[in-house]
Amino acid sequence: MGSLKIRNLSLSYNGGAPVIEKFNLDVSDGECMGLLGPSGVGKTTILKALAGLIQPDQGCILIDDVDVTALPPEKRDAVMVFQKPLLFPFMNVAQNIGFGLRMRKINGAHKQSEINNILRLTRLDGFGRHKVHELSGGQQQRVSLARALILRPAILLLDEPLSNLDANLRQEMRELIQEIQTKTNITTIFVTHDQSEALMMSQRVSLILDGRLRQVGRPQDLFYRPVDPDVARFFGGCNFFTGEIKNGQFETPLGLFPVGQDLKKNQPYTATIRPEDIVISPANDKHLRGAILRTNFEGAATRLWVQCNGVQLIVLAAGAQYKAHQNVSLHIPPDKIRLFPKNV
Amino acid sequence: MKGHQLQTNHNFRTRMAPVMPSLSILLGPALIVVGVLFGGGLILGILQSFGYLHVAAANHLSIQHYLNVLMDPDFLESLWLTLYIATASTLIAAGLSVAVALFLVTLAHKNRLIHFIIQIPLTVPHLVIAVAAVFMLSPTGLLSRFAMALGLINTSSQFPLLINDRWGIGIILTYVWKEIPFITVMILSVLSNTGIELLQVGQTLKANRWQRFRYITLPIIFPSLGAASLIVFAYTFGAFEVPYLLGQTYPMMLSVWAYRNYSDIDLLARPEGITTGILIAVIVSLTVLMAQVITKITRRKGIVL
Ligand SMILES: Nc1ncnc2c1ncn2[C@@H]1O[C@H](COP(=O)(O)OP(=O)(O)OP(=O)(O)O)[C@@H](O)[C@H]1O
Ligand SMILES: [Mg+2]
Repeated sequence: MGSLKIRNLSLSYNGGAPVIEKFNLDVSDGECMGLLGPSGVGKTTILKALAGLIQPDQGCILIDDVDVTALPPEKRDAVMVFQKPLLFPFMNVAQNIGFGLRMRKINGAHKQSEINNILRLTRLDGFGRHKVHELSGGQQQRVSLARALILRPAILLLDEPLSNLDANLRQEMRELIQEIQTKTNITTIFVTHDQSEALMMSQRVSLILDGRLRQVGRPQDLFYRPVDPDVARFFGGCNFFTGEIKNGQFETPLGLFPVGQDLKKNQPYTATIRPEDIVISPANDKHLRGAILRTNFEGAATRLWVQCNGVQLIVLAAGAQYKAHQNVSLHIPPDKIRLFPKNV
Repeated sequence: MKGHQLQTNHNFRTRMAPVMPSLSILLGPALIVVGVLFGGGLILGILQSFGYLHVAAANHLSIQHYLNVLMDPDFLESLWLTLYIATASTLIAAGLSVAVALFLVTLAHKNRLIHFIIQIPLTVPHLVIAVAAVFMLSPTGLLSRFAMALGLINTSSQFPLLINDRWGIGIILTYVWKEIPFITVMILSVLSNTGIELLQVGQTLKANRWQRFRYITLPIIFPSLGAASLIVFAYTFGAFEVPYLLGQTYPMMLSVWAYRNYSDIDLLARPEGITTGILIAVIVSLTVLMAQVITKITRRKGIVL
C-alpha cells in the first residue's frame, strides 16, 4: 500500500523566497509518477520535503491518507534515492544494502536472504563482498537503489538516479527500474529533467515550471495536448504562429485551417505544431511554399529551418536529402495543430 | 578497477615529475639549515646517549645510559605522569572536539563568526596560554579572586590547586583548550564534505539519532579523529614549555625531567638527560608514524580524510 496526497505545499530555504508554491498532487497506490521540470525548478526540494528532510512552510503530505507532515524522515514510510549514489564508504556492498534492516534491528538469516533477493533483483549477484569504491558508477547507483528497495517502502522517491550515467547505461538502468517497479509495485516518484526519460518511465507525468505544477497527465497528454505554450516548448515544441478565428476557420499567414475546438471569434490565438508533424516535400505547386534557411543533421532526422510566408518554421525530416537554399513545399495537417488563446 | 587506479597513480607521478626538482631546489637552503641544526643535533644527541661524550674523551659506545635511565625510579614516575597527562588531555580534547564539530556542522555555513571564534586558539602560542593559565588558575589568580569576591572562599589558600598540582590539571586544561580547535577542524572537514549528505541518507533509511551517530558519524570521523588525536598525543607527550611553567616540582613530565638532568651541575646527569630526550623523540616518532599508517590504510579503503 502506498498512496500519496500532497496538499498546498509551499517550500523555501531559510525563510527565503518560496521555491515551490501551492503544490498539489495525488499519486495512487502502485503508480510510477514522473516529476519533470528544468534544472533548478525545485524537484529535489519537493522530494526532500516528501522524505521529511525539509519542513514545508505550508501545506501537508498524506501517505495512505495519514498526515505525515510533522513526522521526521525515520518515521515516514518513504525512502529517497539521491542524485549521487552516496554509499557508505566504510561498508561493503552487502552492508550498505542491509543498512536499513540493521537500523530496524532485523538480523541473521532473514536479513541475509533479503539482501540476496535484492542483489538478484538489481543484478548485483556476487558483488556483496565488494568494496563500494571498486564498483562502476552504474553499479553504485544500483546499490543505492537496492539499499532503498530492501525496506519495501510505501513510497519510493528517486531523484534523477540516472543523470550521472552514460547514455547506454542509462537506457539499461531505465529498463531495470521499470522492471523492478512492475515487479514490486512500489508507488514511485521519479524525478528527472529529461523529458523523454519522464515520458518513457512514468504512467503519469507532472510538469513543474517556475515553481508551480503546470500539467499532470499521461505522457501522451503532455506531449500531444499541452495546456499552454510553455508546456509545448518544454516538450520540444518550437513552431508558434498567431492567427484569428473567422467564419469557423483559423486564419493565419500559413493559410486557413478548419477548427474543431469551440473557440471565440475575432480573438487572437497562438497555434503550435510539432516539428515532426509538418510534412515536407520537394517544391510542388499544390502546397505551401517555403525556402530552407539552414539544416542540421541529427542522425535519425535532419532539422530544417524553413522560411514560409514570413513565418520561420522548424521541420524534422527523415533522411538527409534536403539542402540549404532549396525551395520546398510544406503541408500542415490541421488535426496536428494545437491552439492557445493568446496572451496566456 | 585496480588497473585503473595504477594508471591514475602513474599519471599523477608523471605530471608531478617536472615540478619536483625545482621544488627541492627552492626549498634547498631551508632544508640544509633544518638538516644541519636538527639532524646534526639529533645525531650528536644519539651519539652522546650511547656514551660518546666528545672526541677527546674517546669513550667506547655502550647502552649504559639507557639502562641507567630505564632503571631510574624517577624516570618511571615521569613516564607515568607524562603518559597520564598526554592521554587525559588527548581524550578530553577529542571528546569535546566531537561535540563541538557536531554542533558546528548543524550550523552549516550560516554562522561564520562561531567558526572564527572556535579557531582562535589555533593561532595562540602554547606559551601565551600557559602564562594566561597561571594568571587565571593560580591560588592568587583571577578565578580565585573572583571566587573570593563572590564569597565562595575566604582565603586564597582555600582555592583548589589547579596549577603546579599533583594531577596536572593546569597542564591538561591548557592542552585541551589549545588542541580542541585543531581536532575539530580536522573532523569538521570530513563531516561537512560528505557527512551531511550521508546523514540524510541514513535518516531516510530509518536510522534514529543515536544510530546515525553510532553507524554513520563515528565511522566517518574515526580516521581523522584517530590521526588528529595521535598527533595531539605526540605533541603533548613531548611538549616542554607548558609543563615547565605549570607542572609541579616532583614528579616532572619527561621533557622537563630531561632538561633538568641535562642542565644539572652534576655532569654525569647530562647524558641521561640526553638519553631521555632521545627516548621521547622515539615515542613521539612512533606515534606520528601510527597516525600516518591510519591515514594510509583508510585511504586505501577508499575513505577520504
Ligand atoms: N540548501 C539550499 N539552500 C538554499 N537554496 C537552495 C538549497 N538547495 C536548493 N536551493 C535552491 O532551490 C532551488 C531548487 O533547487 P533543487 O535542487 O530543488 O532543484 P532541482 O529541480 O532538483 O534541480 P536539478 O535538476 O538541477 O537537480 C534552486 O534555485 C536552488 O538554488
Ligand atoms: Mg535535483
